[in-house]
Parts: sequence; C-alpha cells; structure tokens
Amino acid sequence: MHAMKRLELIIERMAMKRAGRVLESAGIKGYTVVPALAGYGQGSYWQRDRDMSASQDMVIMIAISSDSVMQVALQDLQKLLGAHIGVLSVSDVNVLRPERF
Amino acid sequence: MLDLALTTLLSPVVLFFILGLLAALLRSSMSIPEAFAKGLAIYLMMAIGLKGGIAMSESPVTLAMIGVFAIAIALSFSLPAIAYGALRVTSKLSRIDAAATAAHYGSISIVTFVAATQLLASANIESSGYMVAVAAAMEAPAIITALFLASRGKQKSEPVAGSESGELFREVLLNASVVVLVGALIIGALIGTDGAKQISPFFVDPFQGVLCLFLLDMGLSAGRGLRHGWRQLDAAALGFGIYMPLISASLAAIASILLGLDTGDTTLLMVLSASASYIAVPAAMRLALPEAKPSIYLTLSLGITFPFNIAVGIPLYLTVAQWLQGGA
Repeated sequence: MHAMKRLELIIERMAMKRAGRVLESAGIKGYTVVPALAGYGQGSYWQRDRDMSASQDMVIMIAISSDSVMQVALQDLQKLLGAHIGVLSVSDVNVLRPERF
Repeated sequence: MLDLALTTLLSPVVLFFILGLLAALLRSSMSIPEAFAKGLAIYLMMAIGLKGGIAMSESPVTLAMIGVFAIAIALSFSLPAIAYGALRVTSKLSRIDAAATAAHYGSISIVTFVAATQLLASANIESSGYMVAVAAAMEAPAIITALFLASRGKQKSEPVAGSESGELFREVLLNASVVVLVGALIIGALIGTDGAKQISPFFVDPFQGVLCLFLLDMGLSAGRGLRHGWRQLDAAALGFGIYMPLISASLAAIASILLGLDTGDTTLLMVLSASASYIAVPAAMRLALPEAKPSIYLTLSLGITFPFNIAVGIPLYLTVAQWLQGGA
C-alpha cells in the first residue's frame, strides 16, 4: 500500500466548478462529487431542498493525491474558501495503485 | 377590494400555498421530492411561455409594446438602487448583503406572475401575451445594478480562485428559467394557435392542478426559510420585505399611467416590479457576491415578500389598477 493525502471539501454547489478547476490546475488527476443532504453550522441549519434555486445546496468533493500536489491545491482552495461557504479537511490514506493519483 | 382579497385567498392555488406554509411552520415532515419540484417548475415555465408566445403570434409588434419593454427594463435596473438605499438607511445589513438583497427586488418571481395571471383570468380581465416576454426581460438587469452597488468604494480585488470568465454571464442569461421561458415563448410564437391545439391537453387543461402542487412546495420552502432565517434579520429588514414591493408596485403604476396600459397589463407590470426573485438571482449571487449571506436575501424574498404578494399584494395591485382605470 502507498501513502497518499485524501482531501474532503464540503462546499456550496455553486462553487463546485470553481473548486474543480482549482483541483485540476493543481495537478490532481481526479475527484468525486457527492450531494450533501443537510447540516448545521455557524448557528443555522441548512437543508438540500429548502429553496427552489438550489443555491444553498452543498456538495462533498473527494480527491486523493500525493502530498506535493495536495499542497499546491490547498493554497488556491484556501483563497476559494475565503469567499465561499465550505469546510476543508485533509487526511492520510493508503492506496493500492499510486500511479492513478 | 374585500371581495377580491377573499377570492384570492380562497382560490385553490393560494389555499395550497397556505397549507405548505403552515405545514413548514408547524414542522411537518411533509416534503415534495426535489426532482419532482424542479420538473413542476419547468412545466409551469413552459406552459406560461407557450401561452405568451401563442398570444404574441396573433398580435404585431407595436411601438407601445416596445415602450413597455423599455420601461420594464428601466424599472429592473433602477429598483435595486432604491432597495439598496432603503436597506442601508434603515437596517444594519452590510453593503454586500444589502446589494445582494437589492438584486432580488429588481428581478422578478415568475410564480407570482403566474398567480396574478390566474386571478386576472378568473376576473375575466384580459392581459397581453407579451407580458411573459417582459417578465423574462426583467430577470437580469437588476443583477448588474447590484454588482455596481456592491463594488462602489471597494478596491478592485483578485478574482475568486477557480472562477472563469463568462460563468456569471452564463448563470444570469442561460439559467434554466430564462432558457425555458424564452425558448417556450419563441416556440409558442412559431406554432401559433393551430400548433397550440396539439399540446393544449398537456399544457392548458392540467395547468391549474400543477400550479397547486407547485404552490404547495413553494409554501413549504417559504415556511422553512422563514422558520430558520428570520432570526438573522432585524425588524427594519423584515419590514423591507413588505414595504419594498409596495414602493416598486407604486412606481410601476406611475409608469403604467405614462404608457397608457389597460387594467390587466398594469396589474402584471405592478406584480412583476413588486415581486422578488428566488430562483435566478440567488444562484447568480452565489457566484457574483459569495460573501453575501444567502439566509438574508432568501428569507426576505421567499419567506416574506412572496407570501405577502400571493395573499395581499396581487389583489391590492389589481384594485389599484382598476382604480387607475376608473373602474374600481
């Protein structure tokens, strides 16, 4: 098994494409997006189907890469999260096929 | 006025809206599946766009029509400036939050418009088919004014990481509601009355029932927004959700007198001006002004102004329009 970094970014749906571009330009080879249903943060609840515009929907973006590529991505993601609603975490994971990341 | 208000309040569309609103306020677990609600929204926009287009196919473009478009676009550009000023003077909202909220009040709510056309139809008052196109034209200008207001006195900052040129343009001008509404309007104008016969069993007859379903969902959305969002607003901001539509409708009424519009079109121009967006503008604001708090502008537009317009505003605007025509 090979050590890698796993990024989990919970971010508003409207900023998903922006985050995707940041990950791609940093050199991350792939990511997966899953919908978030509901949550609580900063004193208020949010829920996926609350407004017709879906502008308050949140998604979870998951990406795995080497530490060096992840550091590049984190620099720009920090700027993105300065403007948009989101939570970012990075953890250590092991993968079977490192050439895919 | 009282009869009209009762007729509106006891119409199935409004009663289903109230049902949804009460259910959400009482914390019922009732919900309309998200994908189904989006399908209903597309159906309604297609139906209203087709109806407007078919009506337009029977009437030539006139100078008066162009005048209505020009005034409507001018209203959409200017109403956010008034809304922004009112919010900055009376409430504690920040410059960004006030600008983002103002954008919603210059844009329109197509469901409020549809509800108004239903009231006009039930009262046997005619309106022009091209008012649907006027509604589409009033979707976007307010966003430009809001961005200008938000950027005033602010140093030019770097673009948000990952942003792309043209993404806001696409969101504003090519969002689902604009594409479906304008597309259906053009298709309706092309197929005319003869083509309409082929699709009327789907788009005309079930329209009222689908509108009831949609308003039930809107009531749920409005109630949930109000339940969760009102704490973030002070009394002045909450009051804005009621008095701003009245200011906008008054300006539209003055414009209607200048344009010489009839009762139906005056009512619809007042409704369009008084309504606040909750579909196109919130999405655009997340891209253009991501620092603005969505709970503020969505609570105001969806939780306060929308119910006010549905229950009180529409019959009030119709009464004023009738009074202006000397037919109250």
